[in-house]
Amino acid sequence: MINKDLSIDFMGVHFENPFCLSSSPVGNCYDMCAKAFDEGWGGIVFKTIGPEHFKVDEVSPRFDELTKEGTPFVGFKNMEQIAEHPLDENLADLKKLKQNYPDKVVIASIMGTNEEDWVELARLVEEAGADMIEMNLSCPQMTSHEMGSDVGTNPKLVQKYCEAVKRGSSLPMMAKMTPNITDMVPAAKAALAGGADGIATINTVKSISNVDLEKKTALPIVNGKSSVSGFSGKAVKPIALRFIQQLRVAAGLEQLPISGIGGIETWEDAVEFILMGSTTLQVTTSVMQYGYRIVEDMKNGLMHYMEEQGVDHLADLVGLANKNIVPAEDLDRNYKVYPEIDWDKCIGCGRCFISCYDGAHQAISWDDKIRRPTIDTSKCVGCHLCALVCPVGAIHPGKIVMKPGREGDPEKVDVVSQRLH
Amino acid sequence: MTKKYQTEAPGYTMTTVMEEAARCLLCHDAPCSQACPAHTDPAKFIRSVRFRNIKGAAETIRENNALGAICARVCPTEKYCELACSRSGIDVPIDIGGIQRYVTDFEQAADMHILKKGNSNGMNVAIIGSGPSGLQAAVTLLEKGYGVDLYERQAKAGGYLTYGIPEYRLPSNIVDYEIKRITDMGANIHLNTTIGEDITMDQLKADNDAVIVAIGASESKVLPMFENNDAVETAVSFLARTKDAQGNIDLPKDAIVIGGGDVAMDVVTTLKKLGVKHVTDAAYEEFDEFRASKKELAGAEAEGVTILDGYIPDSIDGHTVTFKHRHMNSKLTIEADKIILAIGQTVNANNLGIRLEHGESPSAGYKTRDEKVFITGDIAQGDKTVVYAVQKGKEVADEIDSILGGNHND
Ligand SMILES: Cc1cc2nc3c(=O)[nH]c(=O)nc-3n(C[C@H](O)[C@H](O)[C@H](O)COP(=O)(O)OP(=O)(O)OC[C@H]3O[C@@H](n4cnc5c(N)ncnc54)[C@H](O)[C@@H]3O)c2cc1C
Ligand SMILES: Cc1cc2nc3c(=O)[nH]c(=O)nc-3n(C[C@H](O)[C@H](O)[C@H](O)COP(=O)(O)O)c2cc1C
Ligand code: SF4
Ligand code: SF4
Ligand code: SF4
Repeated sequence: MINKDLSIDFMGVHFENPFCLSSSPVGNCYDMCAKAFDEGWGGIVFKTIGPEHFKVDEVSPRFDELTKEGTPFVGFKNMEQIAEHPLDENLADLKKLKQNYPDKVVIASIMGTNEEDWVELARLVEEAGADMIEMNLSCPQMTSHEMGSDVGTNPKLVQKYCEAVKRGSSLPMMAKMTPNITDMVPAAKAALAGGADGIATINTVKSISNVDLEKKTALPIVNGKSSVSGFSGKAVKPIALRFIQQLRVAAGLEQLPISGIGGIETWEDAVEFILMGSTTLQVTTSVMQYGYRIVEDMKNGLMHYMEEQGVDHLADLVGLANKNIVPAEDLDRNYKVYPEIDWDKCIGCGRCFISCYDGAHQAISWDDKIRRPTIDTSKCVGCHLCALVCPVGAIHPGKIVMKPGREGDPEKVDVVSQRLH
Repeated sequence: MTKKYQTEAPGYTMTTVMEEAARCLLCHDAPCSQACPAHTDPAKFIRSVRFRNIKGAAETIRENNALGAICARVCPTEKYCELACSRSGIDVPIDIGGIQRYVTDFEQAADMHILKKGNSNGMNVAIIGSGPSGLQAAVTLLEKGYGVDLYERQAKAGGYLTYGIPEYRLPSNIVDYEIKRITDMGANIHLNTTIGEDITMDQLKADNDAVIVAIGASESKVLPMFENNDAVETAVSFLARTKDAQGNIDLPKDAIVIGGGDVAMDVVTTLKKLGVKHVTDAAYEEFDEFRASKKELAGAEAEGVTILDGYIPDSIDGHTVTFKHRHMNSKLTIEADKIILAIGQTVNANNLGIRLEHGESPSAGYKTRDEKVFITGDIAQGDKTVVYAVQKGKEVADEIDSILGGNHND
């Protein structure tokens, strides 16, 4: 079995590997966290701890899933708030975890309703032995408007509470940001101005996942009613990557330490977050679906990737894709690439024909005797919808041509993806 | 028609293997893994495939089973992992063998070198026979730092992998590739060398710290009535020369095959694939007690073989055999160009000084009366399949290591 060093430093703390549980029920008590460490996770963000006076009162049931065809958990909706366990129990768990797992990273997630709460919670978790603090400024379903994403979308409050945490503790601290915002940069800058050392993102996306057609309310049904609440899992990965990219390219944030979150399930997802600028990674939904064991393949797959890339230090990969994501107006629009159909692979289903007609440019003609598609280059715009719908991967990028009157060498155009299909 | 004989059924693509892996329920305490005799851990490698870590899947297979690409193709999974699979509670078991084949093909295409020789401990073990049990024992010993010499009577290594299981089920290039990894690790294979004739057992014992006898049951049984008859050939001889010639052999007009196990099914299916029009199999067992695996029986039936179940040969006159039914008052006389006997294999342990009863060791385990000599594979007690040969190969190596005390590479 391959064995490579996956360790990385983040906000001054050494992680034996970048894989952490994100704050949620997957890290809700000592026994769970101990099991997760034993199975190989590098760090844990403990379930968000609130002040003594805030009483958590949860609904039941509290989850729903988005499916597509046979695939469960395309996305996951939850209506949960913060830790249900009493404050002193949570602090005792943090303390015991750090004692028994000194080499692993224990991160306390906290959330207050006012400045005094934030100061006090920060002080308490430092006293309990946490290595780091994560400020939860982003839960979208709190029953109090003094808490959660209502705070995280208000840069003034973000800065004020970050300052409060820094008064309560000297631990490295990251602010966890909400995606329920058009531009995350002002909130992130406010956090840094308030003393944050880094950013964790994303928390869940406000959503309605499914509607019950008889009861005429959303799922899950809580005694006949439901609420807008947070969406997570694979479906939010593109949203998370987008926010992380936009943070890392904002002026002044190029070196921003980021803990990436949102739909991570495989080593490939993990590498995507790292290439986009994440130093550590956090995971909840896929752990809820499959268990802590998924970290084995994430670690092993990441090691193989580093080996293939000839990289010995994980830190060397952080942010490598940032420079290749440019504003839409800067993309090369001088050429088009025609699809090429491999008739030996083609099984004659006709899906490319249907999609090109109904969703693109009527550029595929269909021979109904031999059941084979042909591309008419006079109509084809090179969108490659056909390649995406083909069930056997028979369609791939073919001839590249410059648009009329444009300069350039079609030989030098780079369009081929190495991703395994 | 040799093309049909030489062509393996198509395997999965990345898309279709993901579809199959997506059917896996990712069970807790997975029953498939518990049911694999060689501990290849299907639940773990399928999970790796599911999470797109194909290289990790290859490591799991290879580190547990040095013949993973072969087992993927020939393992009677319906008796082991797939029999245990929880998915049967919904519809049909996961195609574990098919997924394993995809992963090992990927391993080969990516030219991965997963197995590594351990630091030398200065000791050497001789292995007689290069079938699956000898090969696996060699790998486990090499990993532990032993030097290994394999002695093989035939011109090619592999035992029944090379001289038995037909090309369409197990391509020779796969066997060659698996053996090459083992020689690349440092195993020396001495071909065309029969122990007990070319080299004595005493000589081997003197030159090595231990000797493993892994000779399998490499000869066919023959009933007295079939002796000295030019129309008669044994299954082992027929399958060996057919595979060696890649199917380019002189074909009989028609053939009778006698036997109802997997070997008989291999013979009839091979004959049909090569283009012999009329092939009849006569089996001692009736269908409800048939010994051949369902897969193999279905394969033979798909080729259009006639199977007479419950018939035993009564007499033979040249090319004409008369059968009688075991229970019914019925006799059948058939004349055929060729008569092939697939009624079981026997062991030839001449001059090796080991004691066997009914082709296997009289006692469980791998020890013999001679403390330097061990047995493994088909001649050890337990199932006679490739995957068992692999497991027995690992176990005999572990046992030798625990006795010689060299296991500092564990
Ligand atoms: C036609 C056929 C099809 C089969 N199909 C399957 C299948 O689909 N799936 C499955 O799991 N199992 C199958 N089996 C069974 C499987 O092949 C055996 O269980 C397995 O090969 C046993 O391995 P082994 O290492 O003990 O011995 P073998 O494979 O028999 O190898 C023994 C080797 O020792 C050599 N040898 C013997 N004596 C000496 C000597 N004195 N000196 C030097 N070398 C010697 C022989 O030449 C031979 O190469 C099949 C068997 C046959 C015959
Ligand atoms: C059931 C559930 C409870 C959560 N509770 C918290 C929480 O207490 N604090 C917090 O910061 N984030 C919480 N989250 C958000 C996750 O930590 C994470 O940011 C989000 O789910 C996206 O990651 P994922 O796609 O890997 O799940 C919760 C998510 C879920 C699904
Ligand atoms: S690339 Fe677009 S326009 Fe061209 S054939 Fe395919 S679907 Fe039609
Ligand atoms: S979608 Fe693919 S398989 Fe189907 S007709 Fe088009 S090229 Fe052929
Ligand atoms: S028993 Fe079947 S469903 Fe369960 S893990 Fe094994 S292959 Fe998958």
